[in-house]
Amino acid sequence: MKKLSIVSLLVFLLVMAILPHLLDPRWQTVAVTFLVFSVVALSQDIVLGKAGMFNMGQAMFFGMGAYVTAILNSHFGWPIMATIPVAIIAPVLVGIVLAAPIVHLRGDYLLVVTIGFNIVFVQVLINNLGGVTGGPNGIFGIDPLRLFGFELSSQVAIYYYAFAVLLLTLAIMINLDKSKVGRALHYLREDPLAAESIGINTRLYKIFAFGLGAGIAGLAGSVFATQYSAVSPEAFEFIQSVLFFSIVLVGGSSIPGVLIGVFVMFVLPEIFREFSTWRFFVFGFAMILTMILRPRGIWPATFGKIPKFLIKEPKNGG
Amino acid sequence: MADNELILTNVTKRFGGLTAVDALSMKVSSGQIYGVIGPNGAGKTTVFNCITGIYKSEEGSVSWRGEEIRGMTPYQIVARGIVRTFQTIRLFSQMSVAENIMSGRHIKSSQGWWHGICPTPGSRRDEKENWMKVGELLEFFNLEEFAATPTMSLPYGHQRRVEMARALAVDPTLLILDEPAAGLNDNETAELVDTIFSIRQKGITVLLIEHDMELVMKVTDYLTVLNFGKKIAEGTPEEIQKNPLVIEAYLGSEDEDDE
Repeated sequence: MKKLSIVSLLVFLLVMAILPHLLDPRWQTVAVTFLVFSVVALSQDIVLGKAGMFNMGQAMFFGMGAYVTAILNSHFGWPIMATIPVAIIAPVLVGIVLAAPIVHLRGDYLLVVTIGFNIVFVQVLINNLGGVTGGPNGIFGIDPLRLFGFELSSQVAIYYYAFAVLLLTLAIMINLDKSKVGRALHYLREDPLAAESIGINTRLYKIFAFGLGAGIAGLAGSVFATQYSAVSPEAFEFIQSVLFFSIVLVGGSSIPGVLIGVFVMFVLPEIFREFSTWRFFVFGFAMILTMILRPRGIWPATFGKIPKFLIKEPKNGG
Repeated sequence: MADNELILTNVTKRFGGLTAVDALSMKVSSGQIYGVIGPNGAGKTTVFNCITGIYKSEEGSVSWRGEEIRGMTPYQIVARGIVRTFQTIRLFSQMSVAENIMSGRHIKSSQGWWHGICPTPGSRRDEKENWMKVGELLEFFNLEEFAATPTMSLPYGHQRRVEMARALAVDPTLLILDEPAAGLNDNETAELVDTIFSIRQKGITVLLIEHDMELVMKVTDYLTVLNFGKKIAEGTPEEIQKNPLVIEAYLGSEDEDDE
């Protein structure tokens, strides 16, 4: 099982590495979208899948990263490269400040509060607060990313930029699972009282999960803004948060599960474009059926990732 | 630090109009195996919850090594060397036995939050050392073959052992066991007696609630008896067995019919 997931991960990465050369420009755009949304969905997995907090506002952090890059570039003339750290740090700080007073709330209450945050965020963008968000139309004409004197403006170049961001996210997810903080998130999701009683400061780790998830989503937002060289409020509506939320649950909060979920939600609709709006009818039913038939998701997360030396065969066979 | 003493003074805990624990005072000395007994609903678990920070008592003081711990959060109290098990086992049920025990190493681990994002050679070494410690506990509790098994698929008796292993992974000074023998068969109870003695051998003070009187009389050095939240007696097991108030609390008054 463990070998299988390593092999399938390598095959996936290999295919993704050569993919843009096999696609026409329209599908290259879809592939970039897949990468960017995968990063956001994985960031949601940290908050919802690992720490078990019902966060229905992940699109807000995604949008915050996108708008930070857009505003700093178009209004203040920062190079895109310089906006990236801010596009990560700003959502982290906002995530921490917003999460601190609400993480103690039980699942459904937290859900409502995060929906509220997301709605407020979009309203702020639409009402052009401070005159920098561009109102309902958003911001156009964002510069391409410049790296070592090269201008990454082709779809292929942006694809590899997004791919690098996905690799970074995957590395963080894998490191997290092999660390004290990553396990702490699992413990507090499984039983908060037991976690607290064994010495884990559950509040601190919940805020950590929110902050880390926000930072990764912000980075994805920055890539998103560069891809379209434009941002507008409707891309970060509450309904987007619902999709990211569903992807983690339907996928099963494992890395392959989340990637499959993103593929099903964002790539399949493009493939079935000719069926127009009927495709969403089908997806709605697919989601319902998945949750009934596989309540723990398409590819459920597994535990027992322990060092080999601890796994011993039963003694004296019988 | 000299004395690892736990001293409760006039601890009172109320739930609305009900006084669950009423002005309880007791003193657990270093190296003791201390028992708290009493009929159902006497407030024993509430006392443990007040010590471990799950509840905050309204009045009184809980002093550990001379420090007031009343009002601290559970994880702060664990950091001071007091760790507990639960009457209704509370394991991380989807996770493996080894991962459950590893949770006890949390406060002993030197890793910072940034190591979860970017590991360093130091954090890898720390990770390895803690897993080694988990290996030792698996051996001590004879759970080696179940290391990778999710705890929810283990028999009840094994789950109790995992919970004790998890608590010991903290390297506690005071171990609090809430009905450790509940649901165990005779063999498992006999093993539990040995385990409790060998935990004391390691220099760990044990405080336990138990209904199995045979076990209590065998392992404990000193007892407090609660009834309706009040202490009705304290003493060595021999003294308690002879105490008329205790006999009355457990069996009801024998004189009622005669008079």
